Amino acid sequence: MARFHPLTVTDVQKTIRDAVVVTLKPEDPETFDFIPGQYLTFRRDFEGEELRRSYSICAGKDEGVLQVGIKRVEGGAFSTWANEELKPGDTLEAMPPMGNFHTPIAPGADKHYLGFAGGSGITPVLSILKTVLQREPESRFTLVYANRAVNTIMFREELEDLKNTYLGRLNVIHVLESGGEEIDLFTGRVDEEKCAQLFRLWIDVKSADTAFICGPEPMMLAISQALRDHGMGDDRIKFELFASAQPGRARRKAVSADAARQGNTTEATVRLDGAAHSFTMPKDGQTILDAALGQQMDAPFACKAGVCSTCRAKVVEGEVEMIANHALEDYEVARGYVLTCQCFPLTDTVVVDYDQ
Amino acid sequence: MAEDMTIESYLAQGGVLSNPENVPPRYRAELMKLMTTFVDSELAGSAGFADIINEAPGIKERIAACRIVMEKTDHAERVMKVMADFGADIEKYATHQPWTARLDRDAVLGPTRTGGDMRLSVFHYPLAGWTDAVVMNVLMGRAVRIQLDEFARVSYQPLAEAFRAILPVETRHAELGEEGLRKLVADPAARDAVAASVAYWWPRVAESFGAAESARFEQQKGYGLRHRSNADLLASWEKDAGALLSELGLKAG
Repeated sequence: MARFHPLTVTDVQKTIRDAVVVTLKPEDPETFDFIPGQYLTFRRDFEGEELRRSYSICAGKDEGVLQVGIKRVEGGAFSTWANEELKPGDTLEAMPPMGNFHTPIAPGADKHYLGFAGGSGITPVLSILKTVLQREPESRFTLVYANRAVNTIMFREELEDLKNTYLGRLNVIHVLESGGEEIDLFTGRVDEEKCAQLFRLWIDVKSADTAFICGPEPMMLAISQALRDHGMGDDRIKFELFASAQPGRARRKAVSADAARQGNTTEATVRLDGAAHSFTMPKDGQTILDAALGQQMDAPFACKAGVCSTCRAKVVEGEVEMIANHALEDYEVARGYVLTCQCFPLTDTVVVDYDQ
Repeated sequence: MAEDMTIESYLAQGGVLSNPENVPPRYRAELMKLMTTFVDSELAGSAGFADIINEAPGIKERIAACRIVMEKTDHAERVMKVMADFGADIEKYATHQPWTARLDRDAVLGPTRTGGDMRLSVFHYPLAGWTDAVVMNVLMGRAVRIQLDEFARVSYQPLAEAFRAILPVETRHAELGEEGLRKLVADPAARDAVAASVAYWWPRVAESFGAAESARFEQQKGYGLRHRSNADLLASWEKDAGALLSELGLKAG
């Protein structure tokens, strides 16, 4: 299972006013071997609450570094901290690279890739395009890159340099909501109409093999619809949503160190494989499954989301609160069965039986 | 750029998600349930079919049965890999249920879930020998093709990709079954047994499409996890499988 590993920050570069590129050095480089398009999930404590945030790797495969781009989000604790306080020498914790925003790269391929990026959605697309241009000498890449204004374009100079390095193989079309450009086509939002214009005049969708889209919701919908209208199948469109708001990770408050002293605990007995095991656990902050696992019991589980019913057990004594149940039928619940991954004790004693 | 749009409305308009990070909890639950049902059905299906290998009447049939068992297990693994991205412990999962367990042949289950796992109810019924297994494989194979065609459009891209890769292989399984069935019906002495198995499996496979009126369907549809209703999919199967049976001189249902 994925776990967090420490990474040392070796460099923090401002790209635009409110975005940084962070270079990281993992202790175990193999664990952080990535596929272009993947992201890292970081965790950090902010005033006692653990926040997890994911940022895409923006480095190409052949640059020999691990880099993520972090754009500051209004009111975002992690991104603000990364932009204002993070410095070389700091340590970050991240899970190994994850994500499915990629296609196989083959040296002999002769492909035409389309990339559509909105704002910081450029980060995974940049990693892909750099790797493709380096590793597939016959392939071409057309990037449509949407931003508010010239001064919010991340990696603008790097993209110019790449165009010069890979002459004729990289085409970058900037679309700005406001400012500078003379031609209408390049200003405004990337909506279906704009795509239709682009596809009529500048981009031959028919010749394209794969499209990568990364940005906010409306842009993803508009572009994918326009691509489908121009005959591109769903199996050739790759999506990575950069949601305008990552869903909150409201979790139960961390176990208070005072809980034991306040008597806010439960005497739990868990029966598993014919043996009973008793221990004290807090009423709040830990599921019965996690408490049992914490006691080195080999309790069964799979999804931990209240879905698969692997962790089903019967409450023989006491009461528990099941916060989610998408697997048990009503009659099972009526008989006292619960999903232990979703259960917190309510009474001072509970007895839970996995064998029934 | 950052117009406000909820994930729910994004999904309702045909939006696609590709990683667990921005999946809403209810969506995640529906998705996990869908994947678990598929994985459990494949594992239970292949486990049940494994016993049939030794009843194969010839080498070609033996190979076909082995292949079906192996590939259905492979399909379970492909979807389990997607589940692993959501934190499922797939090593534990693969062995946590007695996949070969079956109920009585006469048990009456209906389209609801039974027992500890989430396999489709049709996989709780035991196979009764080679002929019975072939008939079940043909009827269920045709159903799987229609169900996978539906699931290949789910809004969670990694899963849609897995199903798109699985679909042609499952289609081949149904074809292997059909080859076996054509051989069986060519023998007049075997026709009664075939007809009895069709009568047994037809209603049970039909039930695998779920209840005609499903309260969850609207929510699944809003999430882009479903597109066609259970009744609609069932009607497609009845037409498709029914046409094959009548071509072979067999009666559906």
